[in-house]
Amino acid sequence: MELIDRYVYEVGRHLPRKNRADIKAELHSTLVDTLEARLEGEPSQQDVVDLLKEYGSPQKVAASYWPEGQYLIGPSLFPLFKMVLGIALSVFVIVQLVLLGVAVVFDQEVLTFLSILDIIGQTFGSLFTAFGVIVIVFAVLQYFEVKPDTEEEEWDPSQLPEIEQVETISRPGRVAEITFSLIFIAILLFLPDYIGFVVSPGMEVILNPVIISYIPLIILSLLISIGLDVILLWRGRWETGTRLAKIGTNLFGIYVLYVLITGHNAWLAEQGASGFFSFLETLPELATPNAASVAIIGMHAFRLAFIIALIVTVVDTVKLVYQLLKSFFIPPVTIPVSIEKGE
Amino acid sequence: MHSMMINTDMTTAHEKLTQELRRGVLVLATLSQLDQAKYGYALIDELSKRGLEIDQGTLYPLLRRLEEQGLLESEWNVEGSRPRRYYQISSMGEQLLQVLKVDWQELVGIMEGLLKDKE
Repeated sequence: MELIDRYVYEVGRHLPRKNRADIKAELHSTLVDTLEARLEGEPSQQDVVDLLKEYGSPQKVAASYWPEGQYLIGPSLFPLFKMVLGIALSVFVIVQLVLLGVAVVFDQEVLTFLSILDIIGQTFGSLFTAFGVIVIVFAVLQYFEVKPDTEEEEWDPSQLPEIEQVETISRPGRVAEITFSLIFIAILLFLPDYIGFVVSPGMEVILNPVIISYIPLIILSLLISIGLDVILLWRGRWETGTRLAKIGTNLFGIYVLYVLITGHNAWLAEQGASGFFSFLETLPELATPNAASVAIIGMHAFRLAFIIALIVTVVDTVKLVYQLLKSFFIPPVTIPVSIEKGE
Repeated sequence: MHSMMINTDMTTAHEKLTQELRRGVLVLATLSQLDQAKYGYALIDELSKRGLEIDQGTLYPLLRRLEEQGLLESEWNVEGSRPRRYYQISSMGEQLLQVLKVDWQELVGIMEGLLKDKE
Protein backbone atom coordinates (compact mmCIF):
# COMPACT_ATOMS: atom_id res chain seq x y z
CA MET A 1 0.00 0.00 0.00
CA GLU A 2 3.00 2.26 0.26
CA LEU A 3 2.84 2.53 -3.50
CA ILE A 4 -0.63 3.99 -3.23
CA ASP A 5 0.62 6.52 -0.70
CA ARG A 6 3.41 7.54 -3.05
CA TYR A 7 0.94 7.84 -5.92
CA VAL A 8 -1.50 9.96 -3.94
CA TYR A 9 1.32 12.20 -2.77
CA GLU A 10 2.50 12.70 -6.34
CA VAL A 11 -0.99 13.55 -7.54
CA GLY A 12 -1.28 15.99 -4.68
CA ARG A 13 1.81 17.85 -5.81
CA HIS A 14 0.04 18.83 -9.03
CA LEU A 15 -3.34 19.61 -7.54
CA PRO A 16 -4.72 23.08 -7.01
CA ARG A 17 -4.11 24.21 -3.49
CA LYS A 18 -7.75 24.41 -2.62
CA ASN A 19 -9.18 21.08 -1.41
CA ARG A 20 -5.88 19.36 -1.97
CA ALA A 21 -5.89 17.35 1.26
CA ASP A 22 -9.49 16.39 0.82
CA ILE A 23 -9.01 15.21 -2.75
CA LYS A 24 -6.00 13.18 -1.73
CA ALA A 25 -7.92 11.51 1.06
CA GLU A 26 -10.75 10.67 -1.28
CA LEU A 27 -8.39 9.35 -3.90
CA HIS A 28 -6.65 7.11 -1.40
CA SER A 29 -9.87 5.62 -0.12
CA THR A 30 -11.14 5.06 -3.66
CA LEU A 31 -8.02 3.22 -4.74
CA VAL A 32 -8.19 0.94 -1.73
CA ASP A 33 -11.90 0.36 -2.33
CA THR A 34 -11.22 -0.60 -5.93
CA LEU A 35 -8.53 -3.06 -4.98
CA GLU A 36 -10.77 -4.66 -2.40
CA ALA A 37 -13.67 -4.98 -4.79
CA ARG A 38 -11.61 -6.57 -7.50
CA LEU A 39 -9.50 -9.03 -5.56
CA GLU A 40 -9.74 -11.49 -2.76
CA GLY A 41 -7.36 -11.01 0.12
CA GLU A 42 -4.14 -9.06 0.03
CA PRO A 43 -3.34 -7.39 -3.29
CA SER A 44 0.11 -8.06 -4.68
CA GLN A 45 2.51 -5.36 -5.75
CA GLN A 46 1.67 -6.13 -9.35
CA ASP A 47 -2.06 -5.69 -8.72
CA VAL A 48 -1.41 -2.26 -7.30
CA VAL A 49 0.83 -1.35 -10.21
CA ASP A 50 -1.82 -2.47 -12.68
CA LEU A 51 -4.48 -0.46 -10.93
CA LEU A 52 -2.40 2.68 -10.82
CA LYS A 53 -1.45 2.29 -14.44
CA GLU A 54 -5.10 2.01 -15.29
CA TYR A 55 -5.97 5.04 -13.21
CA GLY A 56 -3.49 7.23 -15.06
CA SER A 57 -0.35 9.22 -14.55
CA PRO A 58 -0.34 11.56 -11.55
CA GLN A 59 -0.19 14.66 -13.74
CA LYS A 60 -3.15 13.53 -15.81
CA VAL A 61 -5.25 12.72 -12.78
CA ALA A 62 -4.39 16.01 -11.10
CA ALA A 63 -5.14 17.91 -14.29
CA SER A 64 -8.77 16.80 -14.26
CA TYR A 65 -9.26 18.69 -10.99
CA TRP A 66 -8.16 22.04 -12.39
CA PRO A 67 -11.24 24.17 -13.06
CA GLU A 68 -10.29 25.85 -16.33
CA GLY A 69 -7.77 23.26 -17.40
CA GLN A 70 -4.04 23.85 -16.96
CA TYR A 71 -2.87 26.95 -18.75
CA LEU A 72 -0.09 29.39 -18.08
CA ILE A 73 -2.30 32.02 -19.67
CA GLY A 74 -5.78 30.65 -20.29
CA PRO A 75 -8.19 31.17 -23.19
CA SER A 76 -10.08 33.95 -21.44
CA LEU A 77 -6.97 36.00 -20.71
CA PHE A 78 -5.05 35.24 -23.88
CA PRO A 79 -6.57 37.85 -26.21
CA LEU A 80 -5.87 40.60 -23.68
CA PHE A 81 -2.35 39.28 -23.29
CA LYS A 82 -1.71 39.42 -27.02
CA MET A 83 -2.95 42.97 -27.19
CA VAL A 84 -0.86 44.18 -24.27
CA LEU A 85 2.19 42.40 -25.62
CA GLY A 86 1.84 43.90 -29.08
CA ILE A 87 1.45 47.43 -27.77
CA ALA A 88 4.22 47.15 -25.22
CA LEU A 89 6.78 45.66 -27.58
CA SER A 90 6.05 48.08 -30.39
CA VAL A 91 6.33 51.05 -28.07
CA PHE A 92 9.51 49.63 -26.65
CA VAL A 93 11.20 49.23 -30.01
CA ILE A 94 10.13 52.65 -31.24
CA VAL A 95 11.38 54.33 -28.09
CA GLN A 96 14.73 52.58 -28.41
CA LEU A 97 15.09 53.74 -32.01
CA VAL A 98 14.19 57.30 -31.07
CA LEU A 99 16.76 57.30 -28.27
CA LEU A 100 19.31 55.99 -30.72
CA GLY A 101 18.50 58.79 -33.11
CA VAL A 102 18.79 61.40 -30.39
CA ALA A 103 22.18 60.04 -29.42
CA VAL A 104 23.36 60.34 -33.01
CA VAL A 105 22.25 63.91 -33.28
CA PHE A 106 23.82 65.10 -30.08
CA ASP A 107 26.97 63.12 -29.73
CA GLN A 108 28.20 61.59 -32.92
CA GLU A 109 31.41 60.39 -31.39
CA VAL A 110 29.49 58.09 -29.06
CA LEU A 111 28.62 55.88 -31.97
CA THR A 112 31.08 53.46 -33.41
CA PHE A 113 30.12 50.24 -35.15
CA LEU A 114 30.82 48.29 -31.99
CA SER A 115 28.77 50.52 -29.78
CA ILE A 116 25.85 50.28 -32.19
CA LEU A 117 26.07 46.49 -31.99
CA ASP A 118 26.19 46.84 -28.26
CA ILE A 119 23.07 48.97 -28.22
CA ILE A 120 21.24 46.51 -30.48
CA GLY A 121 22.26 43.69 -28.17
CA GLN A 122 21.00 45.57 -25.16
CA THR A 123 17.74 46.31 -26.91
CA PHE A 124 17.15 42.62 -27.60
CA GLY A 125 18.02 41.79 -24.02
CA SER A 126 15.58 44.34 -22.70
CA LEU A 127 12.93 43.17 -25.16
CA PHE A 128 13.16 39.66 -23.74
CA THR A 129 12.95 41.03 -20.24
CA ALA A 130 9.86 43.06 -21.08
CA PHE A 131 8.27 39.98 -22.67
CA GLY A 132 9.06 37.90 -19.60
CA VAL A 133 7.61 40.46 -17.23
CA ILE A 134 4.36 40.65 -19.18
CA VAL A 135 4.09 36.85 -19.29
CA ILE A 136 4.65 36.61 -15.55
CA VAL A 137 2.05 39.27 -14.80
CA PHE A 138 -0.53 37.42 -16.87
CA ALA A 139 0.42 34.04 -15.44
CA VAL A 140 -0.22 35.43 -11.99
CA LEU A 141 -3.56 36.82 -13.12
CA GLN A 142 -4.40 33.39 -14.52
CA TYR A 143 -3.42 31.67 -11.28
CA PHE A 144 -5.79 33.84 -9.30
CA GLU A 145 -8.43 33.29 -11.97
CA VAL A 146 -8.88 36.96 -12.67
CA LYS A 147 -11.41 37.20 -15.47
CA PRO A 148 -11.06 40.10 -17.87
CA ASP A 149 -14.10 42.27 -18.20
CA THR A 150 -14.35 41.85 -21.96
CA GLU A 151 -17.44 39.71 -22.10
CA GLU A 152 -19.74 40.13 -25.06
CA GLU A 153 -19.00 43.80 -25.55
CA GLU A 154 -21.30 45.61 -27.83
CA TRP A 155 -19.34 45.38 -31.04
CA ASP A 156 -20.56 47.03 -34.17
CA PRO A 157 -20.27 45.09 -37.44
CA SER A 158 -20.28 48.29 -39.45
CA GLN A 159 -17.04 49.25 -37.67
CA LEU A 160 -15.15 46.29 -39.09
CA PRO A 161 -11.94 47.48 -40.79
CA GLU A 162 -11.59 47.36 -44.54
CA ILE A 163 -9.63 44.49 -46.02
CA GLU A 164 -6.08 45.54 -46.69
CA GLN A 165 -4.38 44.72 -49.94
CA VAL A 166 -2.20 41.66 -49.81
CA GLU A 167 1.17 43.17 -49.14
CA THR A 168 2.85 42.71 -52.48
CA ILE A 169 6.18 44.27 -53.27
CA SER A 170 6.14 46.62 -56.22
CA ARG A 171 8.20 45.02 -58.94
CA PRO A 172 8.94 48.16 -60.95
CA GLY A 173 10.28 49.81 -57.80
CA ARG A 174 12.68 46.98 -57.20
CA VAL A 175 13.84 46.87 -60.79
CA ALA A 176 14.48 50.61 -60.75
CA GLU A 177 16.49 50.27 -57.56
CA ILE A 178 18.60 47.49 -59.00
CA THR A 179 19.26 49.53 -62.12
CA PHE A 180 20.32 52.62 -60.23
CA SER A 181 22.50 50.61 -57.89
CA LEU A 182 24.26 49.01 -60.84
CA ILE A 183 24.78 52.42 -62.41
CA PHE A 184 26.31 53.75 -59.19
CA ILE A 185 28.57 50.75 -58.89
CA ALA A 186 29.70 51.27 -62.45
CA ILE A 187 30.48 54.93 -61.76
CA LEU A 188 32.38 54.10 -58.63
CA LEU A 189 34.42 51.45 -60.34
CA PHE A 190 35.08 52.92 -63.74
CA LEU A 191 34.64 56.66 -63.41
CA PRO A 192 36.15 57.61 -60.06
CA ASP A 193 37.54 60.75 -61.62
CA TYR A 194 34.04 62.13 -62.05
CA ILE A 195 32.85 61.71 -58.50
CA GLY A 196 32.75 65.25 -57.35
CA PHE A 197 31.37 68.54 -58.40
CA VAL A 198 31.77 71.23 -60.98
CA VAL A 199 30.81 74.83 -60.67
CA SER A 200 30.20 75.34 -64.32
CA PRO A 201 30.43 73.08 -67.32
CA GLY A 202 33.85 72.71 -68.78
CA MET A 203 35.66 73.25 -65.53
CA GLU A 204 37.73 70.56 -64.02
CA VAL A 205 35.97 68.15 -61.71
CA ILE A 206 36.88 68.66 -58.10
CA LEU A 207 36.85 65.29 -56.46
CA ASN A 208 35.00 64.29 -53.29
CA PRO A 209 37.82 62.74 -51.29
CA VAL A 210 35.59 61.14 -48.69
CA ILE A 211 33.60 59.12 -51.16
CA ILE A 212 36.76 58.09 -52.93
CA SER A 213 38.24 56.68 -49.79
CA TYR A 214 35.17 54.62 -49.03
CA ILE A 215 34.50 53.21 -52.45
CA PRO A 216 34.78 49.54 -51.40
CA LEU A 217 32.34 50.03 -48.53
CA ILE A 218 29.84 51.84 -50.72
CA ILE A 219 30.09 49.18 -53.41
CA LEU A 220 29.52 46.50 -50.79
CA SER A 221 26.43 48.28 -49.54
CA LEU A 222 25.08 48.63 -53.09
CA LEU A 223 25.75 44.96 -53.81
CA ILE A 224 23.89 43.94 -50.67
CA SER A 225 20.96 46.10 -51.64
CA ILE A 226 20.93 44.56 -55.12
CA GLY A 227 20.98 41.12 -53.54
CA LEU A 228 18.07 42.07 -51.34
CA ASP A 229 16.11 43.45 -54.28
CA VAL A 230 16.62 40.19 -56.13
CA ILE A 231 15.29 38.30 -53.13
CA LEU A 232 12.34 40.68 -52.85
CA LEU A 233 11.57 40.26 -56.55
CA TRP A 234 11.65 36.50 -56.11
CA ARG A 235 9.46 36.42 -53.00
CA GLY A 236 7.05 38.99 -54.32
CA ARG A 237 5.43 39.85 -51.01
CA TRP A 238 6.25 41.27 -47.65
CA GLU A 239 6.51 38.60 -44.99
CA THR A 240 8.50 38.18 -41.86
CA GLY A 241 11.58 36.95 -43.71
CA THR A 242 11.64 39.68 -46.35
CA ARG A 243 10.91 42.37 -43.78
CA LEU A 244 13.75 41.20 -41.60
CA ALA A 245 16.09 41.10 -44.58
CA LYS A 246 15.19 44.65 -45.55
CA ILE A 247 15.63 45.81 -41.97
CA GLY A 248 19.04 44.20 -41.93
CA THR A 249 20.21 45.82 -45.14
CA ASN A 250 18.76 49.13 -44.01
CA LEU A 251 20.80 48.92 -40.83
CA PHE A 252 23.92 48.26 -42.83
CA GLY A 253 23.05 51.14 -45.11
CA ILE A 254 22.57 53.36 -42.07
CA TYR A 255 26.00 52.39 -40.90
CA VAL A 256 27.59 53.20 -44.26
CA LEU A 257 25.77 56.53 -44.46
CA TYR A 258 26.88 57.32 -40.96
CA VAL A 259 30.49 56.60 -41.89
CA LEU A 260 30.22 58.85 -44.94
CA ILE A 261 28.65 61.65 -42.93
CA THR A 262 31.34 61.57 -40.27
CA GLY A 263 33.94 61.47 -43.03
CA HIS A 264 32.47 64.64 -44.46
CA ASN A 265 32.33 66.18 -41.00
CA ALA A 266 35.99 65.46 -40.49
CA TRP A 267 36.98 66.89 -43.85
CA LEU A 268 34.93 70.03 -43.33
CA ALA A 269 36.33 70.46 -39.83
CA GLU A 270 39.83 70.35 -41.23
CA GLN A 271 38.91 73.11 -43.62
CA GLY A 272 37.51 75.02 -40.73
CA ALA A 273 34.09 75.11 -42.34
CA SER A 274 31.97 72.51 -40.63
CA GLY A 275 29.08 74.64 -39.56
CA PHE A 276 25.94 74.60 -41.65
CA PHE A 277 25.56 78.36 -41.33
CA SER A 278 29.09 79.10 -42.41
CA PHE A 279 28.14 77.12 -45.46
CA LEU A 280 25.31 79.51 -46.11
CA GLU A 281 27.67 82.40 -45.68
CA THR A 282 29.99 81.10 -48.31
CA LEU A 283 27.24 80.75 -50.89
CA PRO A 284 27.76 84.27 -52.28
CA GLU A 285 31.28 83.27 -53.09
CA LEU A 286 29.94 81.09 -55.86
CA ALA A 287 29.97 84.25 -57.92
CA THR A 288 33.74 84.23 -57.96
CA PRO A 289 34.57 80.59 -57.63
CA ASN A 290 37.88 79.27 -56.53
CA ALA A 291 38.70 75.66 -55.93
CA ALA A 292 38.65 75.82 -52.17
CA SER A 293 35.26 77.43 -51.72
CA VAL A 294 33.65 75.27 -54.39
CA ALA A 295 35.02 72.21 -52.66
CA ILE A 296 33.57 73.31 -49.35
CA ILE A 297 30.17 74.05 -50.82
CA GLY A 298 30.23 70.80 -52.70
CA MET A 299 31.12 68.79 -49.62
CA HIS A 300 28.33 70.46 -47.67
CA ALA A 301 25.92 69.51 -50.41
CA PHE A 302 27.04 65.90 -50.39
CA ARG A 303 26.84 65.73 -46.63
CA LEU A 304 23.33 67.16 -46.67
CA ALA A 305 22.30 64.60 -49.26
CA PHE A 306 23.69 61.78 -47.13
CA ILE A 307 21.99 63.10 -44.01
CA ILE A 308 18.67 63.16 -45.81
CA ALA A 309 19.30 59.62 -47.05
CA LEU A 310 20.08 58.57 -43.49
CA ILE A 311 16.85 60.04 -42.13
CA VAL A 312 14.82 58.43 -44.90
CA THR A 313 16.41 55.04 -44.23
CA VAL A 314 15.84 55.28 -40.49
CA VAL A 315 12.19 56.17 -41.01
CA ASP A 316 11.80 53.29 -43.46
CA THR A 317 13.37 50.93 -40.95
CA VAL A 318 11.06 52.07 -38.16
CA LYS A 319 8.11 51.59 -40.49
CA LEU A 320 9.27 48.06 -41.34
CA VAL A 321 9.75 47.15 -37.68
CA TYR A 322 6.26 48.43 -36.91
CA GLN A 323 4.75 46.43 -39.79
CA LEU A 324 6.69 43.38 -38.70
CA LEU A 325 5.41 43.53 -35.14
CA LYS A 326 1.91 44.29 -36.34
CA SER A 327 1.97 41.25 -38.60
CA PHE A 328 2.58 39.02 -35.63
CA PHE A 329 -0.63 40.10 -33.95
CA ILE A 330 -2.89 40.78 -36.88
CA PRO A 331 -2.40 38.20 -39.64
CA PRO A 332 -2.63 39.70 -43.12
CA VAL A 333 -5.59 38.82 -45.29
CA THR A 334 -4.88 36.23 -47.95
CA ILE A 335 -7.05 36.48 -51.00
CA PRO A 336 -7.71 33.04 -52.48
CA VAL A 337 -6.04 32.63 -55.80
CA SER A 338 -8.54 30.24 -57.29
CA ILE A 339 -12.12 29.40 -56.58
CA GLU A 340 -13.04 25.76 -56.84
CA LYS A 341 -15.91 25.02 -59.10
CA GLY A 342 -18.52 22.36 -58.56
CA GLU A 343 -18.00 19.69 -55.96
CA MET B 1 -24.97 -2.82 -30.69
CA HIS B 2 -21.58 -2.20 -32.21
CA SER B 3 -21.22 -2.92 -35.87
CA MET B 4 -18.02 -4.43 -37.24
CA MET B 5 -15.24 -1.91 -37.32
CA ILE B 6 -13.38 -1.67 -40.58
CA ASN B 7 -10.11 -0.28 -39.29
CA THR B 8 -8.55 1.25 -36.21
CA ASP B 9 -9.18 4.83 -37.32
CA MET B 10 -12.86 4.14 -37.24
CA THR B 11 -12.54 2.47 -33.86
CA THR B 12 -10.73 5.42 -32.38
CA ALA B 13 -13.19 7.86 -33.83
CA HIS B 14 -16.08 5.77 -32.57
CA GLU B 15 -14.60 5.57 -29.10
CA LYS B 16 -14.00 9.28 -28.95
CA LEU B 17 -17.44 10.23 -30.11
CA THR B 18 -19.24 7.71 -27.91
CA GLN B 19 -17.28 9.10 -25.02
CA GLU B 20 -18.55 12.55 -25.88
CA LEU B 21 -22.10 11.33 -26.02
CA ARG B 22 -21.71 9.74 -22.63
CA ARG B 23 -20.08 12.83 -21.21
CA GLY B 24 -23.18 14.73 -22.16
CA VAL B 25 -25.48 12.59 -20.03
CA LEU B 26 -23.10 12.22 -17.12
CA VAL B 27 -24.50 15.00 -14.96
CA LEU B 28 -28.05 13.80 -15.35
CA ALA B 29 -27.08 10.19 -14.65
CA THR B 30 -25.14 11.16 -11.56
CA LEU B 31 -27.81 13.39 -10.09
CA SER B 32 -30.45 10.77 -10.69
CA GLN B 33 -28.64 8.15 -8.63
CA LEU B 34 -27.70 10.26 -5.64
CA ASP B 35 -31.09 10.50 -3.98
CA GLN B 36 -29.42 8.34 -1.34
CA ALA B 37 -25.96 9.15 -0.01
CA LYS B 38 -23.25 7.15 -1.75
CA TYR B 39 -19.50 7.25 -1.98
CA GLY B 40 -17.69 7.60 -5.30
CA TYR B 41 -16.67 4.04 -5.89
CA ALA B 42 -20.09 2.68 -5.08
CA LEU B 43 -21.66 5.06 -7.55
CA ILE B 44 -19.32 4.02 -10.34
CA ASP B 45 -19.97 0.41 -9.56
CA GLU B 46 -23.72 0.86 -9.63
CA LEU B 47 -23.75 2.84 -12.86
CA SER B 48 -21.47 0.26 -14.43
CA LYS B 49 -23.79 -2.55 -13.45
CA ARG B 50 -26.63 -0.67 -15.07
CA GLY B 51 -24.72 -0.21 -18.29
CA LEU B 52 -23.10 3.22 -17.97
CA GLU B 53 -19.32 3.02 -17.79
CA ILE B 54 -17.73 6.05 -16.24
CA ASP B 55 -14.04 6.64 -15.81
CA GLN B 56 -12.99 7.28 -12.22
CA GLY B 57 -10.91 10.19 -13.45
CA THR B 58 -14.07 11.75 -14.87
CA LEU B 59 -16.54 11.12 -12.08
CA TYR B 60 -14.66 12.41 -9.05
CA PRO B 61 -13.85 15.86 -10.42
CA LEU B 62 -17.46 16.01 -11.62
CA LEU B 63 -18.80 15.26 -8.16
CA ARG B 64 -16.70 18.05 -6.74
CA ARG B 65 -17.83 20.51 -9.38
CA LEU B 66 -21.49 19.63 -8.78
CA GLU B 67 -20.94 20.12 -5.08
CA GLU B 68 -19.33 23.50 -5.67
CA GLN B 69 -22.34 24.45 -7.72
CA GLY B 70 -24.56 23.52 -4.80
CA LEU B 71 -26.26 20.56 -6.46
CA LEU B 72 -24.71 17.99 -4.17
CA GLU B 73 -23.84 17.82 -0.52
CA SER B 74 -21.02 15.75 0.85
CA GLU B 75 -19.55 14.64 4.11
CA TRP B 76 -16.91 12.31 5.35
CA ASN B 77 -18.27 9.20 6.97
CA VAL B 78 -15.90 7.46 9.36
CA GLU B 79 -18.05 4.44 10.17
CA GLY B 80 -17.30 1.35 8.15
CA SER B 81 -13.93 -0.10 7.29
CA ARG B 82 -12.39 3.25 6.33
CA PRO B 83 -13.34 6.91 6.04
CA ARG B 84 -15.23 7.64 2.86
CA ARG B 85 -16.68 10.75 1.30
CA TYR B 86 -20.40 10.42 0.75
CA TYR B 87 -22.34 12.50 -1.76
CA GLN B 88 -26.05 13.16 -1.85
CA ILE B 89 -28.27 15.36 -3.92
CA SER B 90 -29.21 18.69 -2.33
CA SER B 91 -32.64 20.31 -2.49
CA MET B 92 -31.47 22.67 -5.23
CA GLY B 93 -30.11 19.61 -7.01
CA GLU B 94 -33.50 17.96 -6.72
CA GLN B 95 -35.21 20.89 -8.38
CA LEU B 96 -32.65 20.99 -11.15
CA LEU B 97 -32.95 17.25 -11.68
CA GLN B 98 -36.68 17.55 -12.38
CA VAL B 99 -36.04 20.30 -14.90
CA LEU B 100 -33.24 18.33 -16.54
CA LYS B 101 -35.45 15.28 -16.83
CA VAL B 102 -37.91 17.28 -18.87
CA ASP B 103 -35.11 18.70 -21.01
CA TRP B 104 -33.87 15.19 -21.58
CA GLN B 105 -37.25 13.90 -22.74
CA GLU B 106 -37.46 16.78 -25.16
CA LEU B 107 -34.00 16.08 -26.49
CA VAL B 108 -34.73 12.40 -26.96
CA GLY B 109 -37.83 13.26 -28.92
CA ILE B 110 -35.94 15.69 -31.13
CA MET B 111 -33.15 13.20 -31.81
CA GLU B 112 -35.59 10.46 -32.68
CA GLY B 113 -37.20 12.79 -35.14
CA LEU B 114 -33.89 13.78 -36.71
CA LEU B 115 -32.67 10.22 -37.03
CA LYS B 116 -35.96 8.83 -38.24
CA ASP B 117 -35.90 11.05 -41.31
CA LYS B 118 -32.63 9.55 -42.41
CA GLU B 119 -33.40 5.92 -42.05
